[in-house]
Amino acid sequence: MALELKNTSLKELAKIYDYISMCTHCGNCKYGYEWGKTANFAAMLCVQGDKYHFDSYRGSRGKAAIAKGLLSNKLQWSDAVAHVLFTCTGCGACQQMCETDIKPYILRMFEALRSEAWKQNVAIPEGIKKWSSTIGVNRNPYLEKHENRLDWLPSSIRSSLPKKAEYIYFAGCTASYRQKSVALATVKLLQKLKVDFTVSQDEWCCASPLLRTGQYDLAKEFVEHNKALPDKYGASGFITTCAGCYRTLSRDYTMDPPEGYIDKFGKMENVKVVHTIQLIEEMINKGEIEFTGSFNSTVTYHDPCHLGRHAEVYDAPRNVLKAIPGANLVEMYRNRKFSFCCGAGGGVRGGFADYSLETSAKRVREAESTGASVITSTCPFCWRNLTDAIEMTKSPLKMVDIVEILEPIVKRK
Amino acid sequence: MARGNKEIIAKLEQIVGPEYVSNEEANLIPYSWDLTWAEPRMPDYVVMPKTVTEIQRILRLANHQKIPVIPYVNATNIGGLCVPEEGGIIMDLKRMDQIIKIDPETCYAIIEPGVSHAQLSAALKATNPQWEGFEFSKGFEFGWGVHPASASVLAMAINHGIGHLNGRIGINSQLLSSMEVVLPTAEVVKLGSCAYSDSWHSFLPLPRMDGLFTGWMGTTGIVTKLGIWIFPIRPYRDVLTIAAASAKDITKYMVHWRHYSLCDEVTAVSWWLAQIPITFPYKEKPKDAPEFFSYTVISGWSEEELEYKRKMWKKVVQEEKARGTQLIDFEYPEEAKRGRTELPSRIVGSTKNYSKSCGGGLAWPGTFAPCKSWPILYEKWKEIYIRHGLSPATRFTDYQGAHYGMLRCMTPFDKRNPESVKAARNAMVECVRAGIPLGMLPYKPPVEYMNELNAAADAGYVYLMTKIKDMLDPNNIMNPGKLGIR
Ligand SMILES: Cc1cc2nc3c(=O)[nH]c(=O)nc-3n(C[C@H](O)[C@H](O)[C@H](O)COP(=O)(O)OP(=O)(O)OC[C@H]3O[C@@H](n4cnc5c(N)ncnc54)[C@H](O)[C@@H]3O)c2cc1C
Ligand code: SF4
Ligand code: SF4
Repeated sequence: MALELKNTSLKELAKIYDYISMCTHCGNCKYGYEWGKTANFAAMLCVQGDKYHFDSYRGSRGKAAIAKGLLSNKLQWSDAVAHVLFTCTGCGACQQMCETDIKPYILRMFEALRSEAWKQNVAIPEGIKKWSSTIGVNRNPYLEKHENRLDWLPSSIRSSLPKKAEYIYFAGCTASYRQKSVALATVKLLQKLKVDFTVSQDEWCCASPLLRTGQYDLAKEFVEHNKALPDKYGASGFITTCAGCYRTLSRDYTMDPPEGYIDKFGKMENVKVVHTIQLIEEMINKGEIEFTGSFNSTVTYHDPCHLGRHAEVYDAPRNVLKAIPGANLVEMYRNRKFSFCCGAGGGVRGGFADYSLETSAKRVREAESTGASVITSTCPFCWRNLTDAIEMTKSPLKMVDIVEILEPIVKRK
Repeated sequence: MARGNKEIIAKLEQIVGPEYVSNEEANLIPYSWDLTWAEPRMPDYVVMPKTVTEIQRILRLANHQKIPVIPYVNATNIGGLCVPEEGGIIMDLKRMDQIIKIDPETCYAIIEPGVSHAQLSAALKATNPQWEGFEFSKGFEFGWGVHPASASVLAMAINHGIGHLNGRIGINSQLLSSMEVVLPTAEVVKLGSCAYSDSWHSFLPLPRMDGLFTGWMGTTGIVTKLGIWIFPIRPYRDVLTIAAASAKDITKYMVHWRHYSLCDEVTAVSWWLAQIPITFPYKEKPKDAPEFFSYTVISGWSEEELEYKRKMWKKVVQEEKARGTQLIDFEYPEEAKRGRTELPSRIVGSTKNYSKSCGGGLAWPGTFAPCKSWPILYEKWKEIYIRHGLSPATRFTDYQGAHYGMLRCMTPFDKRNPESVKAARNAMVECVRAGIPLGMLPYKPPVEYMNELNAAADAGYVYLMTKIKDMLDPNNIMNPGKLGIR
C-alpha cells in the first residue's frame, strides 16, 4: 500500500508532506504516558479525543491520516473533515508523545489543514467565521471596536506611562476586552516593580487566533503591524501576560518553521519577548522583590498549553508561587508537559462553546481534587474558560491570575 | 462524504447512541490502514460500544444484514489485522476501558478490551502483593512488550503477545486465566473458572476452550473480559550484555544460558536492529562490528540472588568462549539498558527506534521458530532482505522452558513510494515462505502470510480450522478474509 502525494493543489500541506508521511500510525500520541525512574504517568491528555472518541479525533494520528488521505486523494473534503480539524484545541499533548520525524510538524500540520479547509466549501464553525469577518476592522476576535482597546487602562495610569521605554506591555485581546483585571493588575505590578515599560496606543491582535485557525492571509498584516511597534516606542522587548500572545510573539514572529511562521511573515529581529512570570522570577532571583504581604491559600497551577508545551515554560510560575509567603502549591495529576488543556484554544471556545466549557469543567474537577481553594494560571484566556466552568459547576474554587496574586503584596526592594 | 446505509446507521445509533457511530469518511479513514503494507480499505461504519449488551445487539444486526465486524482497539498489531478486507463495521472497543478487578492475593486481574498498557501498568504498579492484609512487596507487573503504551493489553494477550517476562514465565497468551466472549452469533459465554464462580484465576483443569479465541485475530468472537495472571515486581534487576560474531555464535550462547532458566528474558538483535533508527535503505555493516548484540535481564529478591545469576551467566560466557564460540565483550549504553527494564516505555514503544524517518512504513515477518533454525533462517533472510534493499534488523528472543522463540525482522519502508512498499512486502512474504519448512510460524499473520501457511499446512489442520470457524461464525461476519480460508 502506498500513500503517494497526488493532490499538490493543497499547497500548505503538500509542502510538508515529507514530514506528514513520517507518521507511522503507531498511536503513541493518543494517550499520555511516561514510565521509569524520572516519571510515572498515565492519563488521557487529548481533549478532543476525550470528547469525540473516534480515532480521527484522538491525538495527531487521526489528523495525520486525514492529511495523508487528502493528499493521496483517498479522502475528499467534507463538513465532517472540517469538524475533526476545528475541534482540536492545538494543545500539543499529542506532539509531546510522538517520537518520529512528524513530531515537530504536528501543530503546523493542524494549522496547514485548517488553512486548506478555508479554501474549500466546508463548514467552518460559525463562531470562527463571525470574528474572522470583522477582525480586519476590529483588530480583535471579540467583535469589539478597536478604538475601545485601551478602555481597560485608567487615564491616570495612561498619562503616567512614558513615550519610550525598554518594554512594551502587550496586553492582548483577551485582557484588553474581557479579563481587564489581569491587564490592570499587570501594569500596576510592573509600575510597583519599577519596570521600564509602556503600553502601545495601537496594539493589534497578536494574530494567534488567526494562525491557530489557519487564516494565514489575514494574519499577515497583524504580524507586520505589531512587529513595527518596538521601533515606534524605542523598545527592545515585549512583555505579555497572555500565554497565547507569548507563544505567538516569541515563536511565530521569530522562529523558523515548524515552530514559527517567519517563512510567511519574515522575522521579528532583536526583540526580546518575555512573559510577566519570567520577568518576576528573574527579579525574585536577583533579590529585587520584597513581599509586603502574604497569600494564605492552597493553590494549584494550571499550565496554559501555549506557555507550557508550546514554549516549555514550566518552572517560572511554580518558582514564583513557591516564593509567595503563605501560598501552598499543590499539583494536579496532569501537569507540566502532561497538562490537560482548559479547552479554549485553537479557536474552540469561539467555535464550539459547549464542548469548550465541558472540557474546562473536567479541568476544574481535577483542580478541586487537589484540595486547593485557588486555581491560578498565567493566561487570561484560560482564566476566562476556567472561570466559566467554575461558575457553571458551582465549584468552590476561585480563579486568580498569578499577577493578581502578586500585585497587592509586592514592592521593589 | 458518508458511506454505508442509512438504515444500518439508524439501527447502530439506536444501539449505542448517535455520538458513538459514524459513517463519515473523515472518521473512517484512520481505520482504513495501519503501519504495514496492507492495502487500505475503507470500513463503512465505526461504532464504539460500551457494554456487552451493546456488542450483542450489534452482532445480531450484523448477522441479520451479513455485515463484517472488525474488533479494533488501536490497530498496532503490525499485521494489517484490523484493515477491513470487505468493509463493514469497525467495532472500536476503546470505551470499554475498565480494569474490573485486581486481586492481589490470587494474583490476577480482569480487564476490558480498551485497557491500554499505560493504564494497566500504572494500576498494577500501585497494587501490592499481599495475603490477608500482609503486604509482601511493592507492585505487580504483566509481560510488557515494546508496543505503543496506548495499545490494548487484551488484544495483545489473546493474539500471543510477547512481553519482558517471556523468558521466565512464557508468552502472554500462556498467562490467561479466564475470559468472557461474545460469540459471532451474539451469545455471551464464560470460559475457565469464571464460568463457575466469581473467581477468574484459571482455565485449568477444564478443557481449554479459550483456544477458540486466542490467536484467531478477532475472527471467532469478541473477548469482552479477560483474566490475566499478574506477577510481583522483583525489586532487583540487572541487564547483562554481550555481542557475537555471527548468528550461530549468539544462538549457541542463548540456548546455553536459557538452559538454566535464570533470566526474565534473553534477546539478541542483529547489527541493523541495534541502529536507532534502523538504517533504511540497507547499509552495509562495518566489517569490524559484531553481527549480533544480546541482552539478558535478570531479576531477584535480593542482591545475593542477582549476584548468583550474574555468576552463572559469567560461567556460561566463559564456557562458551572456551569451546570456541565467538563472543565479544560488550556493554550496552545505560539508556539502552533502561529501555529494557522500564517497560512499557513511551520511547521504546514509539516507532522512533525502528522507523523514525523512513517514510512511515513498518512491518515484520514476526515468527516463532525453533532456536535451531534461527541461524539458518537468519542467513536466508539476510540474503532476501539485502536483495530487496532492506536492512536485516533481526531479533531472536527465547521463550520460557522451550527450545523455540521469536525470530523477527523489524522492517521500515517508505510508504510514499509504491516500489518500496512492494519490495518490503515481497521480501517479507519470501522470508515466511523460506521459514515454514524449518518450523517457523508467523504470529499475528497478515493475509499474505496466512496464505503461505495454509498452502503448507496439513490438510486436516485447515479442515478443522474451517470447521471451527463455520461453527462459530456461520455468516462469516467476524473479520472476514483474515484467515485465508474463505
Ligand atoms: C513499535 C511496536 C512494537 C511492538 N512490540 C510488541 C511486543 O513487544 N510484543 C507484542 O506482543 N506486540 C507488539 N506489538 C504489536 C501490538 O502493539 C500489540 O500486540 C498490541 O497490544 C495490539 O493492541 P492494539 O490495541 O493495537 O490491538 P489491535 O491491533 O486493535 O487488535 C489486534 C487484533 O486483535 C483483534 N481484537 C482486538 N480486540 C479484540 C477483542 N476484544 N476480541 C477479539 N479480538 C480482538 C483485532 O481484530 C486484531 O485482529 C508492537 C507494535 C508496535 C507498533
Ligand atoms: S493538539 Fe491536543 S486536542 Fe488536538 S489532537 Fe493533539 S492532543 Fe488532541
Ligand atoms: S503522530 Fe507520531 S505518535 Fe502519533 S501515530 Fe503518528 S508517528 Fe505515532
